[in-house]
Amino acid sequence: MGVIILLVMAAGVAAMLTRKIPTAFALVLLAVAIAVLAGAPATGKNSVLDTVVQEGAPMLAATMIAILLGSWLGRLLDETGIAGTLVRKIVEFGGDRPVVVALGVLAVSTLVGTVTGSAPAAMLAGIVGIPAMIAVGIPKTTAAGTILMGIAAGMPFELPIWQFFSTALELPVETVREFMLKLFPFALTAAVAFVLVETRRRGVEHTWSLRTAPPKSSQRKRLGDAPWYALLTPVIPLVLALGFELAIIPSLLAGILYAVLTTTRPGQISKRLLRTFYSGVEVAAPPIALFIAIGMLLAAVKLPGAVDALAPLVKGVSPQNAVLFVIVFTVLVPLCLYRGPLNVFGLGAGIAGVLIAAGIYPAAAVLGLATSYNQVFGVSDPTSTQTVWAAQYAGVTPQQVMVRTLPYVWFVALGGICVTAATSL
Amino acid sequence: MTVVRATPATWHPDDIDHAVRLLAATPTHEGRDPDLLRQWALTATEFGASLPATPCHARIVQLQGGLDEGLLARYTSRPAPTLTLFTDSVQLAERVIAENGWRDWYPPGSVRAAALAHEAVHAQLHHGPHRARLKRALGHVVLRFGRRRVYGHVAGTEEIAAHAYAQVTCGLGRSPLVLTTALSEHLNLPPLTHSDRREN
Repeated sequence: MGVIILLVMAAGVAAMLTRKIPTAFALVLLAVAIAVLAGAPATGKNSVLDTVVQEGAPMLAATMIAILLGSWLGRLLDETGIAGTLVRKIVEFGGDRPVVVALGVLAVSTLVGTVTGSAPAAMLAGIVGIPAMIAVGIPKTTAAGTILMGIAAGMPFELPIWQFFSTALELPVETVREFMLKLFPFALTAAVAFVLVETRRRGVEHTWSLRTAPPKSSQRKRLGDAPWYALLTPVIPLVLALGFELAIIPSLLAGILYAVLTTTRPGQISKRLLRTFYSGVEVAAPPIALFIAIGMLLAAVKLPGAVDALAPLVKGVSPQNAVLFVIVFTVLVPLCLYRGPLNVFGLGAGIAGVLIAAGIYPAAAVLGLATSYNQVFGVSDPTSTQTVWAAQYAGVTPQQVMVRTLPYVWFVALGGICVTAATSL
Repeated sequence: MTVVRATPATWHPDDIDHAVRLLAATPTHEGRDPDLLRQWALTATEFGASLPATPCHARIVQLQGGLDEGLLARYTSRPAPTLTLFTDSVQLAERVIAENGWRDWYPPGSVRAAALAHEAVHAQLHHGPHRARLKRALGHVVLRFGRRRVYGHVAGTEEIAAHAYAQVTCGLGRSPLVLTTALSEHLNLPPLTHSDRREN
């Protein structure tokens, strides 16, 4: 039965890869199919409807709320001009040194990446940041890669991600935080190296474009520069969660309040809060749909029947030796690309669930693997929304961005997997 | 190519309008005061026109495919300074000039010369001391320490300077920006906006 479940999982990956079915729907179908194959009854204890669908759907509820609050804060950073001001200041101060502008935009992207993820994060930093970098001569692929590498450098501190791994892997937030602190130096080193090496290798690029400015300015309405103290907004949730060990949701709420109080007239506060909340809901809808599906998949692979069927198979191919562990899982890094089986926000979540439920690796080791792969997926996967958006906005293909960034994020994954092998195996 | 030095009095008002629009569509200038943009456009134009004529030392490569990429020329500093001239775009530009009866403004062969001059300025600004001079000329103060001032970079002004340099060096009657607009309209390209990628 285990082989059949694996074949069904492979079919699910194929459906996601070929975009026949949206990832979230494919994961729900997979969850139900796995539960049925594992011999789960329709209703009752360890059943398809009650356990997988009813209990699985809200399993990651805390993550969904955190994602929603992160998206809300992201909308506020945009609407209040905080993100735009940060990038504008960087261009004004460092515009004649392209590498300084790129490093500055990288820093803004890192800050944004701590607040929210996916395409909204790329847009927050990239809408002004990408054209600003191109305008000072940074080549397009480097500009897109800088935004993505920056967001990935902030990802170890993205509070909704902490919540996700904590809930999905049933680990305390403190354990997740501890590992993320170890992963961060690798992510930051790779991001800075990307900017320094790529700007040195590719130099600057200027073009005489055939496109011209519109007859009447159709520019975005200028929001005005946000006050300097409002620019601290992205670090507020981080300081509270990291420095004061405040829980994730209150930390994010504090960031939202700080952003609105430092940029908005008192009479406008509730209107702005409500408006940005609603648009934040819209932004958060795709990841929330994914987390509902991942919750069901996790519930399905944890069913006793599924564990019994999959454990012998997975155990047989899972390296226990630390060196082999590092080599095998580093070589497997590309499997998290193109919605592959190790994509943490896809079937990878299910595989992580199997590894823990079958007792193959401790949950902390699975956390290390999953977060390391997440660093690769978040930057180089040509099907992830942030990569597609950043590449297309810069005027290059997602594949070009993948080829340019993959060596750097592979290094991050290697670092994360080494730390995992050394501390958690 | 005869070198004709223009004076500020000879700038056609429409040319400055084109430069102002280019600045307005450049990120970081969202909603800036149009008068300030006009002042910067004029300063950058005069600065570009005043740059000493220097030969282009970059390797010159001629390629097809500019119309697909929406480019007339491209300068890249690495691995070796290279200027790519897109011959299909240059040919189209010459045809558009002929069709519009603009030969007085853009003599035969002037598009190629202007493209070389335009990218040569980018090379100059990238490698030489002129960039700091341009910043000072624009006078955009971003920080003050008592009497000391820190001048900010004004995105888009280098592009305007490059076009002005090309106009003066190649003796063009009108700014290359006018030609760019005509080419853009001919190809029906969507205009640049803040939500677009920005090329210069």
